Amino acid sequence: MSILEYNGASIVAMKGKNCVAIAADKRLGIRFQTVSCDFQKIFPMGKKLFIGLPGLATDVQTFANELKFHTNLYNLSESREISPKVFLSMVSNFLYQRRFGPYFIEPVIAGLDPKTDEPFIASTDLIGCPMVTDDFVVAGTCLEQLYGMCETLYKPDMQPDELFECISQSLLNAQDRDAYSGWGGVVYVIEPNKITKRELKARMD
Amino acid sequence: MVSLAVDNMLVGKDEPKGFLFENCRRNAFMAKQGVTLPKARSTGTTIVGVIFNEGVVLGADTRATGGSIVCDLNCEKIHYIADNVYCCGAGTAADTEFTTRMVSSKMELLKLRTGREGRVISALRMLKQYLFRYQGHVSAALVLGGVDVTGPALYTVYPHGSTDKLPYVTMGSGSLAAMSVFEDGYKVGMNEEEAKKLVRDAIRAGIVNDLGSGSNVDITVIKQGSVQQFRPYEVICKKSERQGDYTFPAGTTAVKSSHDMVPFSALRVTDEEVMEIS
Amino acid sequence: MSLCQNDIAYDAPEWLTGEHMTGTTIMAVEFADGVVFGADSRTSTGTYVANRVTDKLTQVSDKIYCCRSGSAADTQAIADYVKLYLDLQENETNEDPTVEVASRVFQMLCYQNRDMLSASIICAGWDKNKGGQVYCLPLGGMCVRMPFAIGGSGSTYIYGHCDNTYKEGMTEEQCLKFVADAVALAMHRDGSSGGMIRLAVLTKDGCKRLNIPGNQLPTFWSK
Repeated sequence: MSILEYNGASIVAMKGKNCVAIAADKRLGIRFQTVSCDFQKIFPMGKKLFIGLPGLATDVQTFANELKFHTNLYNLSESREISPKVFLSMVSNFLYQRRFGPYFIEPVIAGLDPKTDEPFIASTDLIGCPMVTDDFVVAGTCLEQLYGMCETLYKPDMQPDELFECISQSLLNAQDRDAYSGWGGVVYVIEPNKITKRELKARMD
Repeated sequence: MVSLAVDNMLVGKDEPKGFLFENCRRNAFMAKQGVTLPKARSTGTTIVGVIFNEGVVLGADTRATGGSIVCDLNCEKIHYIADNVYCCGAGTAADTEFTTRMVSSKMELLKLRTGREGRVISALRMLKQYLFRYQGHVSAALVLGGVDVTGPALYTVYPHGSTDKLPYVTMGSGSLAAMSVFEDGYKVGMNEEEAKKLVRDAIRAGIVNDLGSGSNVDITVIKQGSVQQFRPYEVICKKSERQGDYTFPAGTTAVKSSHDMVPFSALRVTDEEVMEIS
Repeated sequence: MSLCQNDIAYDAPEWLTGEHMTGTTIMAVEFADGVVFGADSRTSTGTYVANRVTDKLTQVSDKIYCCRSGSAADTQAIADYVKLYLDLQENETNEDPTVEVASRVFQMLCYQNRDMLSASIICAGWDKNKGGQVYCLPLGGMCVRMPFAIGGSGSTYIYGHCDNTYKEGMTEEQCLKFVADAVALAMHRDGSSGGMIRLAVLTKDGCKRLNIPGNQLPTFWSK
């Protein structure tokens, strides 16, 4: 069994027209035993910037704390919000620093640029290779299923409501075929002037 | 740990440089418990380079893989080193990305220090000494090409730090397919169009015959005083078009709770004053 | 610490990840005015020929060359270091470095790092003290002067031939023929040697390079 499957998680982010969305399941397990169904996997890192961390739960929390610490320092020393692009560099630099003893996480980043509100999504692998895409990024234990769902449902230039339905259906239907993730879902839709957080009703098995 | 970092920042000391090994012991322990450790994203790649009468043509496919999953359909494998030097990377994606980035910044500093355009051989030296130091553990297989005062130059760099200088080179998992095209079609003193065509054929051979390579052909042409990038030069395998429309009407997904948040700034402005610059 | 490396590396075929080796035939012979070098030109990774026109005769100072065999990365790095040390010495003393010194620098590097290196080298050249000299440095970091030396995987096939053919006091032409014939024989039998024969003659006047293309190799034994 892979260490990334130990606690289980699935995370997806999508780009719409002037908006982005990021969604995650809520399960925390120890292999097949479910421990919690309200585990935080998406972390706010700026005004309109979120990071989703699937992987080993201990590393998820350690790394989220480390990132928050450094984004706070950035905000203080630069007196401005960190942009998603810079944040991606920060994440991938931190991960590559531990190239030979990595954290077992595969981050997904979604956000709007603090100045231009340009949508941005990206992901990295566990040693920090950055990948910026124009449509969607997925990570976690049901990566294959998520790829299938997103490839079928995704359309460019979706409005926030459409984007929400698209990302939610992708997540719910993918995690139904994954034993390690599920037990609810949470979706953030990020628009220039508001962020909507929605808790999804999902199968609890 | 955190307080140490703050201390360092307060007294102006730098963060620790280079690789960190703090998780190694833990990870080795977990591996001993029987869990398998995940694989990094790799570019099982076809990358090539060829010298023609005025300069160098570099080519690459655009597929990145993680195991059997295609992670990225259109990733950039021809990395910038300097205005006159570019480098194609194969192997572990993060290693090629960060190694070329590091050499790129060193080349920029060298240029600023010497006041001259950097040479290809300088980049080659930095790459081979860095990779040799890590004894092949930094798995970056590179094709380095550029044009400097000595004319066009083309090298391959292997992960262990050995290098070769050749007029036409291939690297990555598709290198055999690409090399067969080169061995058949290479001529001394080709013009730019012939060279581009040959590189395109070589990458196509990799894309079609090697499972680790796919999608598009990227080409970068470096000549004395000019660089042209074609990204993509040609789309070999188009993404298939969707047959139906699967749009869900609003309200399809059952929502348990929803709340709007106004994006709040981590920075609270307490006082603002506009100052004139005299 | 085992997981530090290969566990997260991807599995790829050995011709991609395998260390770049010069399964080689290399050779050097002393004669009255200097030395003659010879080498094949094949560099292989596993079964794949990564470079078929390699130059394994590497210059380390004006009149000292070395023939490299073993790991390409290791031998290139060693040669670079020797080049550096000899350059420094040349600048400090304002004299050409001697072949003996060069071979000792090779030995120092090869012996002190013998656990980490797989390099077997022939260091040869001309200096005004002792004329043409050939030093042989096999795997563990030994260094010994010889009238002629052969090395690399292909050399095992030609020990008998070389012992039988070598004569003291050969001329430059005789040496060139001796080297070309021996390397051709080795390339014929050894799968990891091949390509073309690269030859060099080093005398007090400098270095003269010669190549024998793959389709014009000596075939004296088949007649």
